[in-house]
Amino acid sequence: MARKQVVEVVAEMVASVVEIGCAVGDDVTPESTVLLLESMKMEIPVHPEHAGRVREIKVSPGDVIQEGDVLVVLDPA
Amino acid sequence: MTQTADSAATPVHPPAGSVPRSVMVKLPRAEDPRNPVHRLTALLDDGSLELLTPDDESGMLAAIGTVDGTPVVAFCSDATVMGGAMGEDGCQVVMTAYQRALTDGAPIIGLWHSGGARLAEGVASLHAVGRIFAIMTQASGRIPQISVVLGPAAGGAAYGPALTDVVVLGPEGRIFVTGPDVVRSVTGEDVDMLRLGGPEPHGRRSGVVHLLADTEEAALQHARDTATLLGSQGSLLTDQVEDVDLADLLPENRKRAYDVHPLVEGILDEGTALELHPRWAPNVVTALGRLGGRTVGVVANNPLRLGGCLDSLSAEKASRFVRLCDAFGVPLVVVVDVPGYLPGVGQEWDGVVRRGAKLLHAFAECVVPRVTLVTRKTYGGAYIAMNSRSLGATKVMAWPGAEVAVMGAVAAIRVLHRRRLAEVPPDLRDQVEAELAAEHERIAGGVEKAVEIGVVDEIVEPSRTRTALAAAIDAEIQTAGVRRGAHGNIPL
Repeated sequence: MARKQVVEVVAEMVASVVEIGCAVGDDVTPESTVLLLESMKMEIPVHPEHAGRVREIKVSPGDVIQEGDVLVVLDPA
Repeated sequence: MTQTADSAATPVHPPAGSVPRSVMVKLPRAEDPRNPVHRLTALLDDGSLELLTPDDESGMLAAIGTVDGTPVVAFCSDATVMGGAMGEDGCQVVMTAYQRALTDGAPIIGLWHSGGARLAEGVASLHAVGRIFAIMTQASGRIPQISVVLGPAAGGAAYGPALTDVVVLGPEGRIFVTGPDVVRSVTGEDVDMLRLGGPEPHGRRSGVVHLLADTEEAALQHARDTATLLGSQGSLLTDQVEDVDLADLLPENRKRAYDVHPLVEGILDEGTALELHPRWAPNVVTALGRLGGRTVGVVANNPLRLGGCLDSLSAEKASRFVRLCDAFGVPLVVVVDVPGYLPGVGQEWDGVVRRGAKLLHAFAECVVPRVTLVTRKTYGGAYIAMNSRSLGATKVMAWPGAEVAVMGAVAAIRVLHRRRLAEVPPDLRDQVEAELAAEHERIAGGVEKAVEIGVVDEIVEPSRTRTALAAAIDAEIQTAGVRRGAHGNIPL
C-alpha cells in the first residue's frame, strides 16, 4: 500500500468550530478530541482516524467549515 | 499490505510475501496456497470437509462441511487454473453447490479468486456465469449467502459476490468490473488494483464490502461467524439476559455527540457483535450479534458521525440490513438518537428522498420482531424512518427524558412564534424563547406526550433496558413465532 506522507482530518459536514482541542506538536490518537464542532444543534467531537503528531491546525474557533474541508494535518505516528 | 492472503491459510507454506510471484506460480498445485482444497479446509471445521465435485481443472471446487457445527455448503475458485477464470464446467460446480444448499436449507459460502469468465470459451462462459447470477437471485432471502473475496475478482466474479448477503474482503481481495489495463486503455486513467477495488474503496466508499480482514484467516473467520449467526440463530433465553446500566455509555451533556458502538455492544451479549459496513455510511451502525443467546440485528444512529443524522447512504445501508434480517427471521433492535435527516443540496441531489424511502419501505414491510429504543431524541422524518410505531414497530421504548418531536423545541417555537418573537426586545429574546420552548414541550413534545398518544409504549430505565428488550422480543416470538419476510435480499 502506498504510504501517505500526512494524515488529514477532514470535515464530514457543515459545522462551526467551537473549540480547538490540540496544539501543533501534540501527539494524538483516535481517542483524542482534536476539535469540537457544532452542527445540528449538537457538539460533535472530532477524533483522528490514525495516531499522529499535529503538524498544522487549519481552523479557528468560530469558523464555519464545509464538508471536505481539511481541519487538522497530522504526521503519521 | 505486508501480509498476504495466502500465508494464513497454509502455515506450512513459506509466507507468500517473502516469495516472488513468479516463483509462487511455479509451485506444484498440491502445495499452492491458492489451491481450493487448502482454502476450503481452512474455512470449514477440522475434518468436516467432504467434496461435492471432483478436484479437477474446472476452475471451481465445491464441498459440504460445518462451521462451528453449523452445516454449510462452500465453493472456491481454483486460482491455480487460469487465474480462477470461470467456464462452463466451473460454473456448473457453483450451480451444484447452490442446488445442494437450497435442498439442505444451509448457508452457502463462496470463496472468490477469479478473473471472471473464461475468454477462450466465449459467450458460453458468459451464459454460464449468468446462470450463477440467476440461481443466486433465486436463493436470495431463502438461504444465507456469504462471499469471501481472497484475490482479484473481476467482471462476473465481482457481480457474483455482490449479489450475496454479506461480502468479506481479504487483504489481497480486489473487486472491480474492469481491471486497471482496461481502465487505462479506455479512459487513460492510471490506477492500480488496490485503488480501483481494494479494501479502502470498497470498505469506505462503494459499500460493496461488508467486512474487511487483515489476513486470509481473519476473512474466513468473518465468514464463519456470519454463517453461524445466520445459520444457527439459537433461542432467546430471557433468564440469561443480565441488566447493566447502559446510561453510563452516554455523555451527561445531552447536546454532546458520542460514539454509539459501546452502547450497541452493551445491548448485545458480550463479545458477539459483528458490525457490517463499519466504515461505509458510519452515521448508522448495523450489527449482527446475540441477545440472550439468540441472533438479533441492531440498527443504531451514531451521533459521533454526522451528528447521527440519517442521510442517503445511511438510509440505504440500514434498509438493506433490515431486509437481510427480515428475510432470515432475525429480530431487530433499533437504537434511536437522531436529530433528523441531513439537510443540503448534496443530499437532495444524491437522492435522499428516493433512498430514504427505502428505509420506510424496509421497516414497514418487516415481519420479524422489531423493538425500538429511543435513548435521547428522535425528530421529524427520521423519527418515522427509525422503526416508529406508525411503521409497525413491535414495541417502542424510550429512556426517561427522551425527546420525541417534529423538531427540537426551540427550533419549533422559532417557526411557530416567528412574528411574536420578532417583536420581543433582543435582550429578552432568550428568556421568551425558553418559556415558549418549555410550554411547547408540555403541549407537543416530550416523551410523556408520546406515551399518552401511544407512539411510545413504555419508558424504561437504562439499567433495565437489556431485559426489557429481550422480554419484548420474546413476547412477540411466543405469540407470533419468528416469521420471515417473503422477499429476497436485493443488494439495495
